[in-house]
Order: sequence, then C-alpha cells, then structure tokens
Amino acid sequence: MAREVSEICMDSVLAEMVASYCNRFYANKPDLAARRIEAIGYQVGHQLSERYTMERPRFSDHLEAIKFICKDFWSEIFKKQIDNLKTNHRGTFVLQDNKFRWLARMSVDPSADNGSNEDSSATVAESKAAQAMSMHLYFPCGIIRGALSNLGIPCAVSADMSNLPACSFVVRIKA
Amino acid sequence: MIVCVAVVGHQNNPLYIQSFTEADDALKLHHIVHCSLDVVDERVNNPKKSGPMLNETFLGLLYPTDNYKVYGYLTNTKVKFILVTTDLDVRDADVRNFFRKFHTAYVDAVSNPFHVPGKKITSRIFAERVSTIVKSFGLNSAG
Repeated sequence: MAREVSEICMDSVLAEMVASYCNRFYANKPDLAARRIEAIGYQVGHQLSERYTMERPRFSDHLEAIKFICKDFWSEIFKKQIDNLKTNHRGTFVLQDNKFRWLARMSVDPSADNGSNEDSSATVAESKAAQAMSMHLYFPCGIIRGALSNLGIPCAVSADMSNLPACSFVVRIKA
Repeated sequence: MIVCVAVVGHQNNPLYIQSFTEADDALKLHHIVHCSLDVVDERVNNPKKSGPMLNETFLGLLYPTDNYKVYGYLTNTKVKFILVTTDLDVRDADVRNFFRKFHTAYVDAVSNPFHVPGKKITSRIFAERVSTIVKSFGLNSAG
C-alpha cells in the first residue's frame, strides 16, 4: 500500500522550508540557515538509505555505493538516474544531473530585488539569484551525505550550478 | 521457538534486545548474542568462507551451541540482527523470511522522525511487530 504524494506538494514544502530558514529563523545568518537545512537533508538521506538498501547485498567498496546513489537512490527520489559520474579515483566524485528536478521549475522573484536597492545592476541581481538558488541545494547535498554516511562512508558534499538547470554534486570522501 | 532477537548498531552498541522466554535466562541469552558479534565480524572480514554468497545480508548460522542456534544478518548500513532459537531443525528459508520481515519492521521504526539514529529503539509499535513476527515464525516452521 504505497501512499503517494503529489510532486508539487514536495516542491512547495522544500521551497517553503528554505524560505523559512533563510528569511525567518536565521534571517541574517545565511551560514547557519544553510547548516540547518543541510542537517535536515542529512537525516532524510540517513533514513532513506536504510530503506532503499534493504533488498540488496552489501557494498564492497566506495564506488559501488556511489553507483547505488547514482542509479537506484536517485531513481527513487527523482525518477531518473544521475546523467554523468566522474571520479579522480582518489576519493572525489562528481555527480552531474542534467535536469535537476528540484530546480527545474524554479525562477527568481523579480520584485524581491527591485524594492530594496535602486542601483540593482544585472550582476548584483544575478549573484543574489545564485545565492538564493544555492540555498535550495543544501538539502539535496545533505541527503547525499546522510545516505553515504549511513553506508559507512564519511564525506563532504557540495553543489555546483554553474549551468542551470544542470547541477553537479561534488562528493569528497574523507580518508 | 525463537528465544531472543537483537539489533546491534554499527559500533556494536545494542539498539534493541528482547528475549521471549518465561525462564529467567535473559542474561544468558544476552551473553550468547554478545558472543555472536565476534562471529559476525569474522564472517565479514574473511569473506572467502562465504564463497558465492559474497556480501549477502543474510549471514546464515553463526554458531550452534548445545541448546541454541544463532543466526545473523548484516544490513548495508552495518546494523546487525541476531536471532537465537531453540529449534534444532530450522529451515534456512524460514530464517531468511524472518529476517526480511524483521528488517522491514526495523526500517519502519528508524524512519520515525522522532527516532534518534544510534539510540535504542523504544517504539512500542516496533516491539509489538517484532513479537508478532516471532510468534509467526514458530507457526511457519511447524506447518
């Protein structure tokens, strides 16, 4: 009896979570907000990995676990696999998703920038948009980190969104 | 009959341990569970013995004693499940089936947002589900 939730609800919850942490709870402390959002993602990833690895043999090395994240784990969450996986074979992996679902339907609110500063040049607006976007990526970063940590791989995850809506996650495994 | 089940975390910390006997032998059963942890480590670190079942979650019979048989199961997240039974002719399929159901119950319990990872499982619902699974195990092997 799988219970389903409309996808737009998920999108809205995520957007609202980020908005609440950034604009209400930690309005002037973006670092703290980012850390809190990442921590929520960590717990979610931790619990999801427990569920999604139930019916499979144990992983023998890091690459296998990363592949699991790219294929099955990503399919479960985003209904698609990671499009490109790169590694330097020394503990750094780059997972690229060419159309990241949680950013695909996102646009910047134009009224938010105009009101406050009148000399809002294009670059300022752009960097603000980038900052707002990056806030939404702490949650998926946390999910990846939580899942991998639960599989016994301590790591640091950061996101890169230089060419939207493609988005890449950089996983650095701690030795 | 299953006399004891246990969930042990990845640092060998007990997460849940429950015995199902009337007699006052909980300590003895806990001791058996404790001993089995070394066997689990041995199995995992020397995978040659397991041969084709490499890295399977179900570890099979860990060790038989005079009165008990001890079975083990290791999840991907390095959580160990230990089962102590007094039946001497247990079918592997039954044990596998038991662990599968037990794992599902465990996953549901730790997916509770109020559960703190790495802490003992105190959920009453989990305890009830486990005792149901334990009871049904006896029925399966009898029939």
